[in-house]
Amino acid sequence: MSDKLKDALAGLAAGPESSDAAAASERGPAADPNLHPSVAALRERFGSAILHHEVVAGDEHVVYIPADRVIEILGWLKAAPEQDYDFLKDVTAVDYGGGRPLQVVYQLWSIRRRHGLRVKVELPLQALEIDSVTGLWASANWLEREVYDLFGIVFRNHPDLRRIMMPDTYAEGHPLRKDFPLRGRFSRLEQTRRALAVNLERDYTPEELQVGGTPVQIGTTGASGEPRP
Amino acid sequence: MGLSAGAGKLPVVPGAAHEKDGSPSFLTTRLDVVVNWARHNSLWPMPFGTACCAIEMMAASASNYDLARFGMERMSFSPRQADLLICAGRVTYKMAPVLRRIWDQMPQPKWAISMGACASSGGVFDVYSMVQGIDTIIPVDVYVPGCPPRPEGLIYGILMLHEKIKGESITRSDLRYELPDPYVPALPDEKVEQITVPFGNSTSQNKVSGLVQVTALKRPGDRRS
Repeated sequence: MSDKLKDALAGLAAGPESSDAAAASERGPAADPNLHPSVAALRERFGSAILHHEVVAGDEHVVYIPADRVIEILGWLKAAPEQDYDFLKDVTAVDYGGGRPLQVVYQLWSIRRRHGLRVKVELPLQALEIDSVTGLWASANWLEREVYDLFGIVFRNHPDLRRIMMPDTYAEGHPLRKDFPLRGRFSRLEQTRRALAVNLERDYTPEELQVGGTPVQIGTTGASGEPRP
Repeated sequence: MGLSAGAGKLPVVPGAAHEKDGSPSFLTTRLDVVVNWARHNSLWPMPFGTACCAIEMMAASASNYDLARFGMERMSFSPRQADLLICAGRVTYKMAPVLRRIWDQMPQPKWAISMGACASSGGVFDVYSMVQGIDTIIPVDVYVPGCPPRPEGLIYGILMLHEKIKGESITRSDLRYELPDPYVPALPDEKVEQITVPFGNSTSQNKVSGLVQVTALKRPGDRRS
């Protein structure tokens, strides 16, 4: 067994409690901001709000920003003409365990300029709240619901923040957190009972319950009936 | 099996086939045999395919393996016209009430095959979101092991079910029952409780469920002639 694996297992066994050894950041060495035009522009405009910049996996540029300035910085990345990040590919989160802060990850892409950027926000376990970016990208809606469901991070001002994967009545917590037991918190009997107690008519709409219903095509025509460009 | 009652003179029907040599042209049998013969030769499967096992199930129903040989050419995608539920693949707890609802929608008589390791015991997915064996949700007649089972495996399981159906009797009311509503686990509480231990599904469930009796297993080749 390698030392790295031993450390990882020890970290898992340590659970969610904070410790000085575990408080070490997951960040890598700082990279040259001039390698990526957006990072240089961010440094120039926001200065110390760009907490850290690193390059992972060869050419993946990662920028760390503070949680309270998410809307401001991501909004600028979307609106500034030379940045033009018009596509939010993914919103997800990472829990490294050992009491370390959870990281919320925004994966941005500019369709017109063909460049990408990863933005990370670190949230301490005691304050898992962050502003929703659904106002900037509508695609954040379900992605933020997924992060809320599986990590328990609350997105302020989200239009519809409820579970998306686990049942609405799920009471065991948020499964992708490192402090979540692999088999869940309840016994198999209780889990089976609760699963069977779900009222299908209440939790699914008639359209979802109808098998082989008429497919609905959306978004191909505008209000006037003209095809969208 | 001929009718030999009334050992004297057999009634002679003018024009009937037995008129010439006196042998009877009909035979008697048990109603069970006729009913079971009809049932096991025309099982209409309801495919509940959720994972890779479903690919093997499709292969089994395609031309190379040809389930139509057993009267199963009609995959019934409506539970209302199905006799046999084939649960092929892993079932999450979120799907558990859906599986039970589909089972409830099937008319009697009905049977269930649990295809593959995940459906039978949770397989490698001993995690928070997975049903540890669908026999906690619905009653299962045949478990087909494998990950996934080859089409031959599924066909073997179907032939086992044929043997099981041949041994049924229409006078046995305990074979045909509906599960209670509102839904509760299909197994007794203590048996579901016993699979809470790590990999309890694989190591002890089949033993504790009481659903598997080794002596009851019969190879299609051992069929009585």
